[in-house]
Amino acid sequence: MKLNENVNHVPVGPFHPLLEEAEYFNLTVEGETVVDIDMDIGWMHRGHEFISEQKTFTQSIFLVERICGICSTSHPLACVHAFEDVDNTDIPERAAYIRSLVGELERIHSHLLWLGLAGHFIGYDTLWMWSWKYREPVLQMMEIISGNRNHYGMMRIGGVARDVDPDRVKTLRPILDMLDKKLKMIVAAAKDDPVLKSRLKGVGVLTKQDAIEMCATGPTSRASGVPGDVRTDEPNDAYGWLDFKVIVTENGDVWDKLVVRLLEMLESTKICRQCLDKLNTVKGPILNDVKEISAGEGIGRYEAPRGEVFHYVRTDGTNRAIRHKVRAPSYVNIPTYSASCKGIPIADALITLASVDPCYCCTERALRVKGEHPDAIDFLKLSRAKTERIRREIHGH
Amino acid sequence: MNRSDRTDDFLKKFKGKIDKVIRKPKRLYFEVRDEDLREIVKYIFHDMGCRLSTATATEVYDAIEVLYQFSHDPSGCYFCPRVRMKDKKNPVMNSITPVVRGAEWIEREMFDFWGVTFRDHPRPERLLAREHPQKLDKPLRFGRIS
Repeated sequence: MKLNENVNHVPVGPFHPLLEEAEYFNLTVEGETVVDIDMDIGWMHRGHEFISEQKTFTQSIFLVERICGICSTSHPLACVHAFEDVDNTDIPERAAYIRSLVGELERIHSHLLWLGLAGHFIGYDTLWMWSWKYREPVLQMMEIISGNRNHYGMMRIGGVARDVDPDRVKTLRPILDMLDKKLKMIVAAAKDDPVLKSRLKGVGVLTKQDAIEMCATGPTSRASGVPGDVRTDEPNDAYGWLDFKVIVTENGDVWDKLVVRLLEMLESTKICRQCLDKLNTVKGPILNDVKEISAGEGIGRYEAPRGEVFHYVRTDGTNRAIRHKVRAPSYVNIPTYSASCKGIPIADALITLASVDPCYCCTERALRVKGEHPDAIDFLKLSRAKTERIRREIHGH
Repeated sequence: MNRSDRTDDFLKKFKGKIDKVIRKPKRLYFEVRDEDLREIVKYIFHDMGCRLSTATATEVYDAIEVLYQFSHDPSGCYFCPRVRMKDKKNPVMNSITPVVRGAEWIEREMFDFWGVTFRDHPRPERLLAREHPQKLDKPLRFGRIS
């Protein structure tokens, strides 16, 4: 809808390849500058909390696995942590290493997925093809561990469902070594690229103050200098015994969010290597038998690739929760757009919206508001044109 | 300051304002009166440096409860103030969004699904069912317990 000569409303969504679920963003644009953004969610509300309260504890774990296709380990892991928190249930040491191994592999594949799409949005299709090519071995490792490329069905209250036996460890090791080498190559190539840096540096800044006030989590807040990470704040599973660094940067722009994710992937391969080593030496059961859960309350969380996944359960001594609250990281990260999108050129809006890593479930659909409408804007074209302009300025051709 | 010192200090500071305390390892659940909520949340968020993870509304037999879950990241502890509203037909309480900007969406969601009205909320409107295809005459999650 056109308001006057300079101010326009530009709709993004509700069905849009950038968005984890169908969501609607209304950008108010003055000239080429975004001056305001309004968000409208709820287009794909599926009632998971209500459904989970009708299911037994074990059934709930399978249900929450299906909340998100990418975070299909993070949700069940946070869910079992919540149920285990009610009675402070312990898990066997071997199960702890398996949980952390699967969690970190998920982080690598999620970050690679984001990296590829971010590259595509700004016109770096080589980055997109590299990242997605090397995401494949991660899914292959998941298949070796769980039998599935997605929705692994590994988590149980009191441990895990399947063991990773020594034969599998032997098969996984060379794949991880190869992956590590390739990830280092991608990280070096992306970090040292002058065009990429010029394109993303200073774009869509989320200040530390805004990140704290808006309670952002994960790479979104760590790129703004807020050091929170559930893996070190509340080291569940094997994280308390593993050696890794939490990556924190200071500037809060899209470049810093990219750097955080790139370096996190290298930390994740380090964690996976340690877990595989331990699975060779640590023997014992993989599941403690939990027959019932008493009445009470439990909080469970896990550092998903996008940030803290939070589950809260309230139980009454029966075999199901009377209240199950789920909060995914995008729920607290998406509102940060209202701080990071204001004042940026519209050519940067696409990559800024993508920078918090909302899930890309329907890539290349309906992104382009292209066609007959005279006010239509092709975000992808604008974004890629800006990169091309910077590339010409730097390389001179 | 270790974890239990921090919890003890907190309980001492707000003695008389908090009730029905449940202490578990790294978890502190407690009930507060609506009029004291903002003061306590201000202390938890600004002075202790906690982060709001989320809030949970629950319908129990005699009330609607709202439980805020604040994470103290450096120690991994949770501080969870709970407000109970006995008037289930018209639950009203103070909003914490003026103190914690990050509470805006979750309070709108609780208004949407449980019908809780938050006083002084900057944008008191539905969040998830804003474009619901049916006309909703009552909150979607309310009225399951008779």
